[in-house]
Amino acid sequence: MIHYQHVWKSFDQPVLAGVDLEVATGEMFALFGPSGTGKSVLLKTTIGLITPDRGDVSVAGISVHRAGREALEEVRKKVGYVFQNAALFDSQNVFGNVTMGLPEDELRRLSNREVARRVWESLELVNLEPHAVLSKIPAELSGGMRKRVGIARAIVGRPEVLLWDEPTTGLDPVNTAAVERLIKRLSDDLEVTSLLVTHDVEGGLLMCDRVAMLDGGVVRFCGTPDEFHACPDPLVQAFIHREAAEAALSSIAAVS
Amino acid sequence: MQTRMGYDRLLGTVARIGRVTEVTLEHAGSITLLAWQVVLATARMKVAAREVVNQLYIMGIQSLPIVLVTGSLAGIVTSQQGGYQMSSVVPPYILGSLVVETVVLEMGPVLTALVLVGRIGARITAELGTMVVSEQIDAYHSLGRDPVALLAAPRVLAGILALPLLVGIANIVGILAGQLAAEIDSGLGWESFFYGAKLFWHSWDLFYSLTKAMIFGLAIPLISVHMGLRTKGGAEGVGRTTTQAVMFMTLTILILDAVFPPLLLN
Repeated sequence: MIHYQHVWKSFDQPVLAGVDLEVATGEMFALFGPSGTGKSVLLKTTIGLITPDRGDVSVAGISVHRAGREALEEVRKKVGYVFQNAALFDSQNVFGNVTMGLPEDELRRLSNREVARRVWESLELVNLEPHAVLSKIPAELSGGMRKRVGIARAIVGRPEVLLWDEPTTGLDPVNTAAVERLIKRLSDDLEVTSLLVTHDVEGGLLMCDRVAMLDGGVVRFCGTPDEFHACPDPLVQAFIHREAAEAALSSIAAVS
Repeated sequence: MQTRMGYDRLLGTVARIGRVTEVTLEHAGSITLLAWQVVLATARMKVAAREVVNQLYIMGIQSLPIVLVTGSLAGIVTSQQGGYQMSSVVPPYILGSLVVETVVLEMGPVLTALVLVGRIGARITAELGTMVVSEQIDAYHSLGRDPVALLAAPRVLAGILALPLLVGIANIVGILAGQLAAEIDSGLGWESFFYGAKLFWHSWDLFYSLTKAMIFGLAIPLISVHMGLRTKGGAEGVGRTTTQAVMFMTLTILILDAVFPPLLLN
């Protein structure tokens, strides 16, 4: 479904140095890695938010970076993107934000009633009370609620692929667990392909069919969660244990 | 040794000039491209009329009080300075011509534009810069929406429409305030003031004033949107870019102001 072919990207220094990765249709895939290893950059190349210096990405067989503007628009219709900090439009209320998730041509075709129904449905899917939040602006919502509205906006267009950029970052343990359950449920219910960039190794390993670890701009590991646990690579082991320790520390900090 | 140091200093100066030229050309290229994208979005009817009206309200109606104050003060100061310098040298009614020509040709358009640089230009850069650093612009792209059509074009169109209107109002208020000041300071009556004004008045002057306003109205939102969209580096980056944008817009207004007379007044 998603195919990264030898993706290179440098800013001031190299971030991605020839990433090759394939995510199968219907799969739930997690991408781990220390901070600054280009996980979010790789995710952004999937829908053309960042253009690789070399290499290409294809989604459902469509080249994202070589097939032109119309192909890119086609890809963006197939993909829902959940941003790290929700990236809700400040000037619009929840209804306006979620409505923006509907493709323009669909928005023109649908009646107002149908648009409202789709927005309502999406908010219910992310466990929000539509009547309570529809008219609120993002500044009036809690961090957890903003994330959910961001997810509702990503799924309202009924995408085939969902890209999650650190969806639990900044949330307390209770909200983290709730959002993880939501990600798993949505991926199953909507039968979408999910690619998740996360620091939460424990959650990622529990939810996903396969995981990969980026390091030094390349894929250091790719396999099932069991293979990841059993991987003898000292860097992978160090990463698992360090992330587990950090997760425990942040839980303690949140509780205290 | 000294020759070597001199050579290095010369090389350094050339390199700095090269870098400044490169950055200037890069900005000019990006702004031209942005202007072209605005034209395309407008021609393809992708710009929401409601958003243009909303921006017109922000740029036009909400700027009216400060424009009225600036216009009045421009007229008063011109009248006072002119009255002081011309006393007993030329006929008093010439003050009418001086005030009207100065306000219409220069003070009205330039002061209004500079006020809008601070009030509107800085606001647009900060607003769009914040949207960039909080990934809202990326979100528009990811949802298949064009930020140029949604954000840039309405601001540019509103700027082109609002500035001539505001300058027209600033001109009228400036002239009336200038006449009042002339009456109070120099005892120059209404009729003498406008007799002098008519002596040297050309209809072209109004066209010149409003054309200038329209170009300023294009430049301010174009530069502020361009700078906003290239913001990097969080809240600090928004502050830095906004300051740069204000400087950039102010310089552009003053340079354009210097370019206009040889192009349109000769």
